[in-house]
Amino acid sequence: MLNPNQVRKAAQEVVAEMIGKKVGDADYLISSGLIDSLSILKLIGNLENRLSVTIPAGDLQPDDFESVDFITDTVLRVARSR
Amino acid sequence: MQFNSYSYLLLLIPATALFWALPVPWRRWYVLAMSILYYATWNAAFVAVPLALALGVHLAARLLIAQPERGRRWFWSGVALVLAIFGFFRYRLFLLANINHLLAAFGARPMSVAWQIAVPLGISFYSFEAISYLIDAKQGRIKKSRFSDLYLFIMFWPHLMAGPIVRFRELGPQLDFARPFELRMLLRGLDRLVWGLVQKNLFANPLGSWVDQGFLHNAVRNNSTVDSWALAVAFGLQIYFDFAAYSNMAIGVAQLIGIVLPENFRFPYHAQSPADFWNRWHMTLSRWIRDYLFFPVTARFRGSPGALYASLLVVMALVGLWHGAGWGFVAWGVLHGAYLVLYRVWESLGETRLAAVTKSRLAAWGWRIFTLTAVTAAWVPFRTATGADAAHMLAGMFGRFRFGFSYPMDFYLLVLLMALFCVVEPFLAESWTRAENTIAALRGGLLAHSYLLRPAIYACGLLLFLIFDDRSTQFIYFQF
Repeated sequence: MLNPNQVRKAAQEVVAEMIGKKVGDADYLISSGLIDSLSILKLIGNLENRLSVTIPAGDLQPDDFESVDFITDTVLRVARSR
Repeated sequence: MQFNSYSYLLLLIPATALFWALPVPWRRWYVLAMSILYYATWNAAFVAVPLALALGVHLAARLLIAQPERGRRWFWSGVALVLAIFGFFRYRLFLLANINHLLAAFGARPMSVAWQIAVPLGISFYSFEAISYLIDAKQGRIKKSRFSDLYLFIMFWPHLMAGPIVRFRELGPQLDFARPFELRMLLRGLDRLVWGLVQKNLFANPLGSWVDQGFLHNAVRNNSTVDSWALAVAFGLQIYFDFAAYSNMAIGVAQLIGIVLPENFRFPYHAQSPADFWNRWHMTLSRWIRDYLFFPVTARFRGSPGALYASLLVVMALVGLWHGAGWGFVAWGVLHGAYLVLYRVWESLGETRLAAVTKSRLAAWGWRIFTLTAVTAAWVPFRTATGADAAHMLAGMFGRFRFGFSYPMDFYLLVLLMALFCVVEPFLAESWTRAENTIAALRGGLLAHSYLLRPAIYACGLLLFLIFDDRSTQFIYFQF
């Protein structure tokens, strides 16, 4: 079972690695242009490796990864539904 | 009824006043009735098309929510129904023409259609919205399907004919029309409406008359290199102003009744790369393609650059085909797909030892110039009547140089002037916002919301709209 704090921390680290700086948990990543839709796939791959979970990206939308808050919710929701 | 027709504009005033006078629970039915009436002004029989589509999609969505174990089946049934209706009206003749070409090649007799049917207006737009509704329901974003919500979502008249392409989760929650009246919102709506009218009549239409003339088959054959470039730029500007005008008017009219629609354009000709162009051009279509087609497809082929590039080309070809049943539109889409692939390959070099080169200022300027040139070139097959005309024009632009001016100097000056406007447009918009904020910051009731300034500007805008009015000119995107 995934721990929300563990997921949030992983999301913060993966996002910071990808964009080269720390951002706020509520900061928008895609609509602000920090990350594009192709980078989201990379972000998902990094999260999967770090948390040892499978994220069915084909059933999700880029909006689900719009911020650290959204990423945390999405990963927890996906993990719960499996 | 056109958005820029006198009858529409005159009816809009009492229609808006009545909307705000009605009790909140009545408003959604009033807007639905207005939307159906508006669609019926084009062709009353075609009101049945979005109704049938909404009924089918509602049924499929209800079943897939109620029976998740069979969700896949109901989802694909719904999608198949939408695509069947869309394909029947939109691609029937195109398919037949291509089959006949093949039959002729084998010496067989061509087939013909029993009856000709026009394409229902806006079908490309509401079909995509219907598919997004089904995908959202399948992904659990819509928990309960209500027919009246879905039908109103599809029929909502400001976006019915040519978008913006809205997601249900954006428009659905607003369709109770419970937002209280706000003068500020009404004024913002009027701003967008008047600006749209000016863009259409003052910017798009004058360019359109030259474009119509210059893209005729005989003209294309005689155009010089300068003419071809000027015409390609003119069409790029015309389609931008025309569609941005429509989008502004749609967003503005929705704001008059308290509804917020998403933006569709953000200075596209200031794009820094082909990928950036699609973040600025027809943004709601780009978003639809990204969310409902490109992202799910590429997610399944993660880590394979070949599959990524192939899906970019296929997806962009489909975007071209969505615009119209013709190979010119497909060529336009494939060209954009190729630009995106090229840019992705370049970006991937940024992860190698060439990172310093890819991130240099020179490279950034190079991509800006490439994007502008490539986007302009891609408009050629989009606008020319035949592939041969497109090839001839592109050859004249890029290789078979011939100099000369075949049109009056007014045409070249107009194109130059409009292009210059595009260059300064973001700075003008910024100055306008700053001026507005300054006026709003001033103390005093009248000046606080620029009540004095706005009527003067509206009067100027409407005067320009009337002076340059050409009611025979339809919005380009209405045909898509």
